[in-house]
Amino acid sequence: GKVLVFPMEGSHWLSMRDVVRELHARGHQAVVLAPEVTVHIKEEDFFTLQTYPVPYTRQGFRQQMMRNIKVVFETGNYVKTFLETSEILKNISTVLLRSCMNLLHNGSLLQHLNSSSFDMVLTDPVIPCGQVLAKYLGIPTVFFLRYIPCGIDSEATQCPKPSSYIPNLLTMLSDHMTFLQRVKNMLYPLALKYICHFSFTRYESLASELLQREVSLVEVLSHASVWLFRGDFVFDYPRPVMPNMVFIGGINCVIKKPLSQEFEAYVNASGEHGIVVFSLGSMVSEIPEKKAMEIAEALGRIPQTLLWRYTGTRPSNLAKNTILVKWLPQNDLLGHPKARAFITHSGSHGIYEGICNGVPMVMMPLFGDQMDNAKRMETRGAGVTLNVLEMTADDLENALKTVINNKSYKENIMRLSSLHKDRPIEPLDLAVFWVEYVMRHKGAPHLRPAAHDLTWYQYHSLDVIGFLLAIVLTVVFIVYKSCAYGCRKCFGGKGRVKKSHKSKTH
Amino acid sequence: GKLLVVPMDGSHWFTMQMVVEKLLPKGHEVVVVVPEVSWQLGKPLNFTVKTYSVSHTQEDLNREFKFFIDSQWKTQQESGVLPLLTSPAQGFFELLFSHCRSLFKDKKLVEYLKQSSFDAVFLDPFDVCGLTVAKYFSLPSVVFSRGIFCHYLEEGSQCPSPPSYVPRPILKLTDTMTFKERVWNLLSYMGEHAFCPSFFKTATDIASEVLQTPVTMTDLFSPVSVWLLRTDFTLELPRPVMPNVIHIGGINCHQRKPVSKEFEAYVNASGEHGIVVFSLGSMVSEIPEKKAMEIAEALGRIPQTLLWRYTGTRPSNLAKNTILVKWLPQNDLLGHPKARAFITHSGSHGIYEGICNGVPMVMMPLFGDQMDNAKRMETRGAGVTLNVLEMTADDLENALKTVINNKSYKENIMRLSSLHKDRPIEPLDLAVFWVEYVMRHKGAPHLRPAAHDLTWYQYHSLDVIGFLLAIVLTVVFIVYKSCAYGCRKCFGGKGRVKKSHKSKTH
Repeated sequence: GKVLVFPMEGSHWLSMRDVVRELHARGHQAVVLAPEVTVHIKEEDFFTLQTYPVPYTRQGFRQQMMRNIKVVFETGNYVKTFLETSEILKNISTVLLRSCMNLLHNGSLLQHLNSSSFDMVLTDPVIPCGQVLAKYLGIPTVFFLRYIPCGIDSEATQCPKPSSYIPNLLTMLSDHMTFLQRVKNMLYPLALKYICHFSFTRYESLASELLQREVSLVEVLSHASVWLFRGDFVFDYPRPVMPNMVFIGGINCVIKKPLSQEFEAYVNASGEHGIVVFSLGSMVSEIPEKKAMEIAEALGRIPQTLLWRYTGTRPSNLAKNTILVKWLPQNDLLGHPKARAFITHSGSHGIYEGICNGVPMVMMPLFGDQMDNAKRMETRGAGVTLNVLEMTADDLENALKTVINNKSYKENIMRLSSLHKDRPIEPLDLAVFWVEYVMRHKGAPHLRPAAHDLTWYQYHSLDVIGFLLAIVLTVVFIVYKSCAYGCRKCFGGKGRVKKSHKSKTH
Repeated sequence: GKLLVVPMDGSHWFTMQMVVEKLLPKGHEVVVVVPEVSWQLGKPLNFTVKTYSVSHTQEDLNREFKFFIDSQWKTQQESGVLPLLTSPAQGFFELLFSHCRSLFKDKKLVEYLKQSSFDAVFLDPFDVCGLTVAKYFSLPSVVFSRGIFCHYLEEGSQCPSPPSYVPRPILKLTDTMTFKERVWNLLSYMGEHAFCPSFFKTATDIASEVLQTPVTMTDLFSPVSVWLLRTDFTLELPRPVMPNVIHIGGINCHQRKPVSKEFEAYVNASGEHGIVVFSLGSMVSEIPEKKAMEIAEALGRIPQTLLWRYTGTRPSNLAKNTILVKWLPQNDLLGHPKARAFITHSGSHGIYEGICNGVPMVMMPLFGDQMDNAKRMETRGAGVTLNVLEMTADDLENALKTVINNKSYKENIMRLSSLHKDRPIEPLDLAVFWVEYVMRHKGAPHLRPAAHDLTWYQYHSLDVIGFLLAIVLTVVFIVYKSCAYGCRKCFGGKGRVKKSHKSKTH
C-alpha cells in the first residue's frame, strides 16, 4: 500500500523512522512529507521525501531552537520558569503552525497528494497538521505519539481518565496521591489550558477553513483509526484504555547493531570499571559554560570511562576519562555489558533504552514530560534525579556513585527490564501490524466508541439522572401531599382549629 | 512452573482445556481440581486431576439444570440481569456454589494444595470457587471467562463503564441508545449493584467461612492479576478496558480438522444446495415436543441438507433432508465450503465459530449472554434472531431463506470474519502467554490500577470537588460581605437613612 507519513521533527521522528523502514521492507511505499527546513528528517533510501517551502531559513530555525534551550538552563523562580516555558512553547508552536499553514495553503501540493491516492496517513498528532490534511484528503490515519498535551489525547479517544489516580502530565505525581496532590492534579490542567489554547485553536480555524465547516480540534483528531502510544505499563501507570489504543513503548530499542570500531575501542579500554553513557538528547547540543565545567569536574572524579555526546565547546577542565563525541550509538552502547550507568535528560526514548538494556540512570530532566519520566524511574528505584540548574559537581558525583555502586538500582532496573521485554509481540511488529490493518480495512470504524456521538452531559448520564431524580421527587411530592391531605381529612377538625387559631394570632 | 486449575463444568471447560493442554508441552506441571460429579470434567485427561466429593448426585445436578433450562423455555424472555437474578431456578446456582464448601471440607486435598506451592491459579469465575481458592492460598490468579456476571468486571478490574454508551448485559441494547434505553440501562446498572450481592450470597457466605473473614464479591475479584475474556471487538462494542483485561475471542475455532467420513458423506450428498448446521449447544439436549415439531416442519421446507444435533425424541414429522445426530463436529462442518447457514442458540462459542468460518446465522438465544450475542450479530447484518418461544414454522423458514438467499448476510459475516481473523497474535497463544506471564512474575502488580486503593468518592474526586467548591464559596462569601461592608461605609449615611426609613414604615 501507499503510506503518507507526516512526522514531528526532532527525536519523535527517530522512532517513527524505524516503522517506515519496516513498512518499506514489507513492500509498502512511503512518502514522508516535511518542511524544507528540518533537523533530523533527511532523505533516505526507504522512503520518498516530499518537501514543501516554508518562510524561514535553516539558520533562523536553528537559532530559535538554541534560544529555547538556553532558557531552560537559566535559573529562575517558578513563575518565571512557567512564563518562559510557555514562551518557548509559543515560539515553537508558532513556527510549526507557520509551516502547517504553508503546507495547507499550497494548492498544487495538495492536489498532487490528492491524486497520489494514499491508503493511509501515519502522523504524530502532537502537531495536528497531519490529521487535518488526512481529513481533507479523506484517508484513514494511524497516530504515532507519546502524548498530546492538555489531555487532548484522552478527549479524542474518549478514554476515561479519572484525575483521582491518573497523574496529569507535568505534575510529577504518582498514581498514589494524597488529598492535596489530588487537588493539584485536578487544577493543573486548568493552568495549562492557556498554553494549549494558544497552540491548538489556530489549527482549529485552519481545519475549519480547509474542511469548510466548523470543526473542533478534538473532533478532527477523533477520526484517527488507531493510536500507537510510545508507552507501556511497566513505565506508565495502569489506567483505562480504549480498544484502538495500542502500546508500543520500547519500539526504539528493538534494532541493535554491533558497535563501530571507534566505540568498541573506547569500551574495551575502559577496563573493569566499564563505561557511563552521557547524552542530553538530540535536541540539546550546547549547555552554558559554567554548567559544563561543573559537569566535567564531576565526571573526572569517577573511575568509569565517560562517553559524552556534546557538540558545544570543550570544557577546559575535562578529565582524561571523559571522551567527547559529536554523536554516539546510544542504544548499542547501553546494550553493552560494560555499560554501568546512563546520564540522560530522561526523554522517553532514552528512558526506554535504559529500561530495555537494564542500565541504571542519572536523570537531568529539562522540559516537558521529562520531569514526569524522571520521577517515575526514581520512585521505582531505578535512577536518581538531579535538578540540572541547582546541582553541584558533588551532587552529580554522588548520584553517579550511588547508581553504580548501590546494587539495588541495578536490581530494580533489571526487574523493570524483564517485565518490559516480556511481551507476546515485539512493539515494532505490533506497530507495523496496525498500520497494515488500517490499510487493509480502510480504517477501523468498529473500534470507534459510540461515546463520540454523545454530548458531555449525555456521556455522564446527567440527563438520565436528572430525569430519574425528577420522577423520584415528583413521586415523593405527590405521596407527601396526599398523606398531608389524608391527615387533614382524618384529623380534620383539629387541624382546622389549629390553623384558624394561628391565623388569628397573626 | 506449577499451575492450579479450577475450572467450570460444561462448554466453558472446552476452551479452557485447550489452553491447559497447550501449557503442558511447555513443561508446566498442571493440577486440575474438579468435583466428583460433573458433565464434562470427569473425562480422562492427560494431567493430574484431583477430585473432591460433593453432597449431591449426578441426578441432582441434571435435575436442577433441567429445571433452570425449563424455566427459561417457559417464562417470557425478559431482558436484563434482574429477571435472571430473581428467577425461581436459583437451585442450579446454589448447587454450583456449594462445590466450594465441599472442596474445602476435603482436608487432605487442601493440605495437598497447600504443600504444592503453585505459581498461579487459572480459574473460571462462574462458580466463584476459583476466586476463593486463589485468595485462600494467596496465589496470583488468571480469570478465564466469556464475560463477568453482574458489574464485577467493572469493580474487580476498576474498568470504567459509562452507562451512557456501554450496554449492560442481557438488555439487548447496542452502544447507540435512545433516551429511554439509556434510562433503562442506568436503572439496570443500579439494579445490579442492588441485587447481585444477594444472588451471590451463598458463594460469598462460603468464601467468608473458608477465609474466616467476611468478604464481598468485589473482594474476591479485585486481586485478579489478568482477565482473559473470550470476546473481541468484532462481537463486542468498543468500550474502555484495562491493561490487564485481555481479549481472546475466537480461541475455540482455530484448529480445524477434516470432517469424519460419516459427516463427509452427508455433506457430499447435499449437492449444490449445501448444508445447514443446527445445534442449540452442548447443554440443551431436549426441547418441548410441540416446539420440536414446529422446527422440524420448517426445516423440511428448505432445499438444504440439515444436520441437527439433537438428543431428544425424534419429531414425527421430520423431513428427509434433516439428519438427527447425537453430536456433530460443529467447527469443522461450519468450515466446510458447503455450509450455507448455522442455526445456533448463539452461545459465545457458536457465535465465534460462525464468525471465523463466515457462516450467516439464524439465532435462537435461550439465556444469559446469548441474547446480547444475537443482538450484536443482528445489528451487524450477519444473522437473524428468532424468539424461540413465539416463533412459528413460517418464521424459521423465512429466517433461513433470508440468510441463505440474501447476499448481504454472507457479505457481512465475511467482513466480520476477515476483521476477526486479522490479529497480530492468535488468541490461544495470547492466552498461554498471559498465564505463563503471571506464573513467571508471580502476578502482575504493575498492571494493578491505583484505583483499587480509593473509596468511591475519592475515585470520582468528589472530595476534591467539594473542597474546591467550599473554597470558591468562601471566597465569594467574603468578597460579597466585604463589598457590602464597603458599600455601607461609603454610602453610610444614605444607607442608614434608608434602613431606618424602612423599619419605620413596617
